Amino acid sequence: MSQLTAGRNVRGRFSKFTKDYAIVVAILLLMVVFTFASDYFLTYRNIRNILMQTVSVAIVCIGQAIIVTTGEFDLSLGQNVCLTSAVMAYLIKFAGFNPWIAILCAILVGAMVGMSNGLLIAYAGIPCFIVTLGFQMIARGAAKIITNASPIAGMPEQIKWIGRGFIGGNEYGFPISVLIMLGLFLLFMFITLRTKFGRSLYAIGGNKEAAYFAGINVKAHRAVIYTIAGALCGISAVILVTRLDSAALTNGNLYEFDAIIACILGGISLAGGRGKIIQAFFGAIFLMLFFNGMTMLNVNPFVQDVLKGVVMIGAVALDVVRNRRR
Amino acid sequence: MADNILELKNITKVFPGVKALDKVSVSIQRGTVHALVGENGAGKSTLIKVLAGIYHSEEGEVFLDGVKVDLRTPYESQQKGISVVHQELKMSETLSVAENVFLGNLMYKGRIVDWKGMRQRASEMLRELGVPMDVTVAVERLSVAQKQMVEICKAINRNCKVLIMDEPSATLTEKEQSLMFNTIRKLKENGVTIIYISHRMEEIFDLSDHVSVLRDGAHIATLPVANVTRDELVSMMVGRAVAHDYPRSAKALGEVVLEARGIKRKGVLNDISFQLRRGEVLGVAGLVGAGRTELARAVLGIDRIDAGEILLHGKPVKIDSFRKAIGLGLSLVPEDRKSQGLVQIATVSRNICMVNMDAVSHGFVMDAARERQVSQEYVEKMDISTPNVETEAQYLSGGNQQKVVIAKWLLEDSEIVILDEPTRGIDVGAKSEIHRLIVDLAEKGKSILMISSELPEIVGMSDRVMVIHEGNLVGEFKRGEATPEKIMALCI
Repeated sequence: MSQLTAGRNVRGRFSKFTKDYAIVVAILLLMVVFTFASDYFLTYRNIRNILMQTVSVAIVCIGQAIIVTTGEFDLSLGQNVCLTSAVMAYLIKFAGFNPWIAILCAILVGAMVGMSNGLLIAYAGIPCFIVTLGFQMIARGAAKIITNASPIAGMPEQIKWIGRGFIGGNEYGFPISVLIMLGLFLLFMFITLRTKFGRSLYAIGGNKEAAYFAGINVKAHRAVIYTIAGALCGISAVILVTRLDSAALTNGNLYEFDAIIACILGGISLAGGRGKIIQAFFGAIFLMLFFNGMTMLNVNPFVQDVLKGVVMIGAVALDVVRNRRR
Repeated sequence: MADNILELKNITKVFPGVKALDKVSVSIQRGTVHALVGENGAGKSTLIKVLAGIYHSEEGEVFLDGVKVDLRTPYESQQKGISVVHQELKMSETLSVAENVFLGNLMYKGRIVDWKGMRQRASEMLRELGVPMDVTVAVERLSVAQKQMVEICKAINRNCKVLIMDEPSATLTEKEQSLMFNTIRKLKENGVTIIYISHRMEEIFDLSDHVSVLRDGAHIATLPVANVTRDELVSMMVGRAVAHDYPRSAKALGEVVLEARGIKRKGVLNDISFQLRRGEVLGVAGLVGAGRTELARAVLGIDRIDAGEILLHGKPVKIDSFRKAIGLGLSLVPEDRKSQGLVQIATVSRNICMVNMDAVSHGFVMDAARERQVSQEYVEKMDISTPNVETEAQYLSGGNQQKVVIAKWLLEDSEIVILDEPTRGIDVGAKSEIHRLIVDLAEKGKSILMISSELPEIVGMSDRVMVIHEGNLVGEFKRGEATPEKIMALCI
């Protein structure tokens, strides 16, 4: 009997592993396909480029993944990136702030937008859909006011390395922004999987009421994760602005949806309580590879938009089927 | 042979871990009012849901007018003439009375909906039932009694032959009740058969022709009301001598640990005071909705109280949140294990360590090895049957799930444990293990407040029993004085 259960367990764990990381297999498949389709694809330069382009959205993914773990989502993240980009660039170019102070302010503004979301959702009990949709518009409007709807370009040299710098030389070096992203993923993997805070988040995602009856401060936790996601938007904006050397209204556009899609593709359950944020990382990489490859193969960009929708619905359908089997 | 409109034969319905109905056979005579009685959890609601097409029985047959029928959906039941007025009314609140009466069964004039005709007809039907009302008013603006009348109308409009009413009088004022009883009598005159569920003995003797008693999912008896007394009925409901031996040994009790003084919550709790001693099991009896759970919630700071005071070890404390209550050494094993007690998709170990994370962490950081080890200890100590501590709680049986919920509070080492229906929906074997756990806790000097609808359990386990009725403390029995019959008499 015990052997029987042990056998079932090993198989159970294996099938769980393949299910959780099916996205890694998908990434490898995609890479093989693109490698055959284009000589340029599997070069260090191209892979490095793809990674650097992924950084900003991937950092937003961390916040989104944490929120999705509790069974909710945040639609304001993309425009929060846009707003914090504008704040940072404005403070540097027009208010004469020290760039580092400006960066700090951008992150703070991001956190404050997130906190406003979180307080309204957790304490006033307004659904996350409504609150975050509202803040999507508020943040976009505020960004327009700050930038007067035209890009603010030309960042000082002393901070450009954040988005553009390499460790070990420009030719073959490793991008600093990617290192920052990996560091953040490691940090938040640790927080979600190894701390009391993280443990409580999974409990809340699994069953808010039971979490409450276990003495977890459900409201405070919910408010805090939106704040964290907001601060991450600020960090994402810093990297984006220094990489693009400009804060434009297109910064961060649709990141919130890309992040949700990345979570789903990675296999994080939208119902909450399951999944690891590293899965969202793989989801984001998959998305980037997919569209980088499409562009490389000269697929019409309008068709790419259509495909994005198809991929998203397909991934949700997968999630639904998976949950049904459970 | 009597003229039976409805015959149930050997209806059996099993839920995971518990047999809700066990070979229930009942015959209902045409044109009578047939009362269905039993304790909470005796299987009345399950039986109704089978007839309503909401649940599907594993075994058994239903004959309507002598013809075997297959009731697979509520729609089919209604089509065949069985309608239910549920306890929690399900209506389209924003639609008018007339629209609700004809919901899903609209009248047409040619191919056009005949609103005028429907308003007239609805208005007539309500007048015939003795409750004339404006049928253009939205249902949300009606009283509960009026809503019930609309539901009855809806059923009649569907040519219902059997009307099932699930505790219709529970929320009505006296005047509304007598109005409804008149309606029931009128329906009976018109040849409708009524199955009537109630806890109130007066009503049953007043209204019904026959009465069937259910207990623990089994059919105990069906009798003409004229041939049975109130006391006989009560003893059939609680029936069994204490089902198994309760492992309680009488011990001297310690000092008063928890005291509640004059707890009031408007419309729910009315001036309730009690004391709980060290090592004591205090049973709280009463019907569902009497205010037992509400009392626990008020003491634990989950619901706000309007007046009253809580004292711990003789000192007044202000408990304004459940988290604070936990900090003060109180705990709750909630009523609904599935939705409140456990995170179903979390592992056994995570559930056990969910309250007292400090015990398995260093500062903010969890110690996974320690967590597994501690959980393993509890799994062994409490004999929780699970493949391992990494199994998700949802895959455990009801009894083992409940042990996990209790384990949480053992790890927290709470001084006062409040259990709300600790053995509901749990099979007999696991039940006595839970009882054993509760007794162990008391013997270790914990204080237990145990809410239960199961009278033998209350009587068998408690050092003292409080009876709550409609938000009032209506009686108290010492161990030895309490009997299921005495308690039941106070409950209803």
